[in-house]
Amino acid sequence: MGSVGLTLPWEHRISGAVRTGERRVEPSESRMETEQVAAEPSQDAAVASACLSGNLQGYEQLYRWQGTRMKNLARNLLGSPTDAEDAVQETFLKIQRSIASFRGQSSFVTWSFRILVNTCHDLRRARLRRKVQATEDVESLLPGSVPRATVSHPSLRMALERALERLTAHQREVFLLYEVEGFRHAEIAGMLEISETASKNTLFQAKRNLRALLEPPRSAGAGGAR
Amino acid sequence: MKISCEGRERIFLDGSTEEWKALEEHAASCPVCAEEVRAWKQLSAAAAELRNYREAPALWARIESSLRERQNAPVRGRFWRHLDLWPRLSQSWQMALAGAMVLVLGVSGSYLYTHRTPANSPDATAKLLKSSALAEVERTEREYTTAIDKLAADAGPQLNSETPLMANYREKLMVLDSAIAELRAQAGENPSNAHLRYQLLAMYQEKQQTLEEVLEIKR
Repeated sequence: MGSVGLTLPWEHRISGAVRTGERRVEPSESRMETEQVAAEPSQDAAVASACLSGNLQGYEQLYRWQGTRMKNLARNLLGSPTDAEDAVQETFLKIQRSIASFRGQSSFVTWSFRILVNTCHDLRRARLRRKVQATEDVESLLPGSVPRATVSHPSLRMALERALERLTAHQREVFLLYEVEGFRHAEIAGMLEISETASKNTLFQAKRNLRALLEPPRSAGAGGAR
Repeated sequence: MKISCEGRERIFLDGSTEEWKALEEHAASCPVCAEEVRAWKQLSAAAAELRNYREAPALWARIESSLRERQNAPVRGRFWRHLDLWPRLSQSWQMALAGAMVLVLGVSGSYLYTHRTPANSPDATAKLLKSSALAEVERTEREYTTAIDKLAADAGPQLNSETPLMANYREKLMVLDSAIAELRAQAGENPSNAHLRYQLLAMYQEKQQTLEEVLEIKR
């Protein structure tokens, strides 16, 4: 009875923090307790109020506070730093344009990230369409023919990025928002306009799929677990 | 708390801190669960590789300049700013609002028609455009309409693309066109009514603005 064995090619690169920090049963939730990037109501309210009054300093505060995180999410969703910067810029313009519609039903950061995710959707769709049109006959660029992440022994980051590309857009967003950006399920639910339970289910499916994608092909004799 | 292998997946999905602790205690004596827990946590740890919070020094300057540019642009009326929310409404809401808008325009149009002031009353003559001014307005309107039609032709290929955003813009333009048609019909019956002309002008301006936004997206 062999173990299920997720012998990831990048296993050796993961710091010992996970194993030694066994108390951290839910890494992202614990991270939020320490970093507290989003859940600072007073700062959130101050930035929202500055932006609502039309003060550009409010937008600058938002940028200084969340800009790198916004850019990181956009880069992971779009795959390109240039597109990510365009998406962040467009997001700020959309925030400015629709600030009057912010009712404070969610935090300002959650509301801003919802706009960012939607902006990335639009950019991604537009870019995919261009790409498909331009490379209709180049099969290797189509999602169905992306090689298994483990085949060419890429770096951990590349392996994960390739595996993420194989997930549904929804799974990719929830995984990135929760595991990479450290948002809570309640916040993700607000951003993606889904329920908290749906966010948890989607994360579960995303991690299952990622695991399957990152697991090296098993040899004929090694199968049969469970 | 006692946990068995069967409870593992549920804890992965939505386990409390206590349940995770119990699962780890169970995993200490169960190699299958130990491997599963380790692999599950490794995915979270690996996600850190996708975190790159490096500053982009030039980005804020770029954003600030575009925010400033938009802030200094001529301020549109509150009603028109509300139309910016249009693309984000669901299709059913858009249809409902479009229907309501047409209905309101229809009802108000017929009300105005049935309750219109007799053209020969002294009060009415003050509000009516004189014939020379009317000819001037109609000529300018024709030129303006032609210019907007040219803009619409330029935006045509972009508008016909099958994106949800463009679908929303098409819907918005459809509503504006029907409102314009409605107002033009009313203006046709009452050509000297300056108020109707102003309403019509506002609709044309909104259409122009919308088409410019579409072209802006095209870049």
